[in-house]
Amino acid sequence: MLFNSLDFAIFLPIVFALYWCIPQKNNKAQNVLIVIASYLFYGWWDWRFLSLILLSTLVDYYVGYTLSRKQKKSHKKLLLWLSISINLGILGFFKYYNFFLDNFISAFSLVGQEFTASSLKVILPVGISFYTFQTLSYTIDIYRGKLQPAKDMIGFAAFVCFFPQLVAGPIERATHLLPQFYRKRTFVYTKAVDGVKQILWGLFKKVVIADNCAEYANYIFTNSEELSGSTLVIGAVLFTFQIYGDFSGYSDIAIGTARFFGFDLKQNFSFPYFSRCIAEFWRRWHISLSTWFRDYVYIPLGGSRGNVWQQVRNTFIIFIISGFWHGANWTFIVWGMLNALYFLPLLLAKKNRNHIEIVAKGKLVPSVNDIFKMISTFSLTMLAWIFFRAENIAHAWQYLTTIFSSSLFQYPEVIPKQELLLIICFLIIEWVGREGTYAIQIIGTKHKKGLRYTLYYGIALAILWFRGSEQQFIYFQF
Amino acid sequence: MRRFLLKLLYLILPLVALSYPLDYLISNALKEDHGMHGEYEVWNAIYENKIDGDIAIYGSSRAWVQINPEILETYLGKKTYNFGVDGHNFRIQYLRHLEYIKHNKKPRHIIVSVDAFTLQKREDLYNQEQFLPYMLWNKNMAVYTSGYKGFSKADYYIPFIRYAGRTATIKKANTYLLHPEDTSENFRQKGFRSFDLQWDASVDSLLASEKKYRIKFHPDTRTLLERFIQECQNDGITVTFVYAPEYIAGQQYVENREEAMEIYREIAQKYSLVFLDYSQNELSFKKEFFYNASHLNKEGAHLFTQQLAQDLKKVTF
Repeated sequence: MLFNSLDFAIFLPIVFALYWCIPQKNNKAQNVLIVIASYLFYGWWDWRFLSLILLSTLVDYYVGYTLSRKQKKSHKKLLLWLSISINLGILGFFKYYNFFLDNFISAFSLVGQEFTASSLKVILPVGISFYTFQTLSYTIDIYRGKLQPAKDMIGFAAFVCFFPQLVAGPIERATHLLPQFYRKRTFVYTKAVDGVKQILWGLFKKVVIADNCAEYANYIFTNSEELSGSTLVIGAVLFTFQIYGDFSGYSDIAIGTARFFGFDLKQNFSFPYFSRCIAEFWRRWHISLSTWFRDYVYIPLGGSRGNVWQQVRNTFIIFIISGFWHGANWTFIVWGMLNALYFLPLLLAKKNRNHIEIVAKGKLVPSVNDIFKMISTFSLTMLAWIFFRAENIAHAWQYLTTIFSSSLFQYPEVIPKQELLLIICFLIIEWVGREGTYAIQIIGTKHKKGLRYTLYYGIALAILWFRGSEQQFIYFQF
Repeated sequence: MRRFLLKLLYLILPLVALSYPLDYLISNALKEDHGMHGEYEVWNAIYENKIDGDIAIYGSSRAWVQINPEILETYLGKKTYNFGVDGHNFRIQYLRHLEYIKHNKKPRHIIVSVDAFTLQKREDLYNQEQFLPYMLWNKNMAVYTSGYKGFSKADYYIPFIRYAGRTATIKKANTYLLHPEDTSENFRQKGFRSFDLQWDASVDSLLASEKKYRIKFHPDTRTLLERFIQECQNDGITVTFVYAPEYIAGQQYVENREEAMEIYREIAQKYSLVFLDYSQNELSFKKEFFYNASHLNKEGAHLFTQQLAQDLKKVTF
């Protein structure tokens, strides 16, 4: 079920009404409803893959429960590896089987050995990368003694399949989300209003920014061989905003929807295109995934401690894994490596912890220096997105070489004026609201009623007027 | 909770209240448009119950540019209307049929102009704008246009949503709203329009650059065609298959064309239909009667319809 579909528009009010009809002290019944609603939400796409969620739930519930009762470290370790193997095994099969098989065959053919094996027609279950990482965090945190196991199966199942964030995150930590399933949930007016505002803004990002940019970005990337470098730059800019609008829009809708039910999800994006360096960008982009990798991979590897070689190794590992998490294609791996290359000089110069605060905090305009840094960071990110969007490495290379050719100075064949204008308006609103957790959060509370409602209706009308043709959420494929 | 729901209602209500009148205005204005090769004109005729015909012609562009209803009327003495729909396979042709018989008197005879692509199903909803003014709360439209890349479910049930983001369409509707007196002539006459064009060198080079194509038959579309025939036969409507002339050199580009022909022959035999095949007719060998490999020009269409009328008179009427 898509957030921007009629099905969801019917589903959400029904679940909302049923949920708050249940006496509030009975959070177990509310959890049961969440599980049923979430399975329906997921099964709407393909009910067969509910079995994977169920398997993941059962395995991790069992492992979590047993872990807390075992005293011996070796037993605990064994249980942890059981959970990791099953979860990553399922993920590996559905997401990476064909990739490894194809590359295995190619590698053999390079040394003159012909090896035949047919690829499987494996459908990638929606959201598998997201809920797998979420359940893994539960088991690892219990193993580390940071978390007590779930009190009951229903609460844990609700944590794994909570529909607002089931298919595209934010990837919640058990330490943050799981206790909320065992607390009494009361309807809080201000939270719900905040949820509506965040959903409205998320819809704007998805339907107006991402879907409109997608039409031109798809056209330009598909026809990149026939277009000039200047047009390809426009295509890359549009994709840069498409992926941001698409993914952060989804996160906003997810967070807003969760608020309706009395839950707080973690902020997943924090105005990443206003970053002044790549390290800051990665603190503001897909925060739930970046921090997951930081806590469960990077720090256990040694993080930024150790000698230079270890720091370089750890940085590359983390970015390559992050790239590979996105998809079974070399393009994602190169995208990850490129980001590691951007990040490394900052790490080695110990400048990776600069720019913790949002740019130009408390000011209306940034300094010239900040503008320069933001533009450079944006450009670097945009170049990396070319690999992310390209069909394969050859396509990305062709795209980049055309950009850095004399045709860069040609008049572009395609100038999507409306889309570029929409992006400028979007950036202005984001800039004004950058000190909140989402752009219209502060605007929506600081100003008088008249101005607030003008803004809300303006956004709603913009969604109706400028709605782009419906596109699948990009991150569903991950 | 009550406060929240009331506020939400206040926020949504003005938008909902505005959506239906806006939808009505835009839809009505759009119906005035003669673009898209006159598709709106045919839909308007259907929904305004204007068709009182004995013979109906169904098919794609190979129907509406090649079979002239006026010639059939002259030869056969029966009122005729051409329902050919540009670029679409039988699924959308069937939708037009359903809406036609729902809003008008049923015909006595239906001529189905079949071609190599009738039993395919394209992925996109070609010329999807043509459905916009008529699709709100329209069950048949929802069933037969929803299997394509085009509309979402909300478009069929929530007023105005389908116009959201279609700024060019709204602008077009706006011109008709602001200048209602500016009504140009119909593009088609009784659903038909021929083109006074000639085959030239550019068509030759286009044909030479064509790649071979293999038809992907869509099983559901074949089932639909057979269901249509059965429904017609139950209603006492005679169905005739016609394969209009097709330039001979162009025929080789469809690899499994013969497979399509065999299916039509098989269906015709199964339901005892007359199947008039003009693909090997002498017209198909003369370039001067075509403006491209699959469409006859004005003169070719005239000659073909005359011949069709005579043949129909012999075998059916």
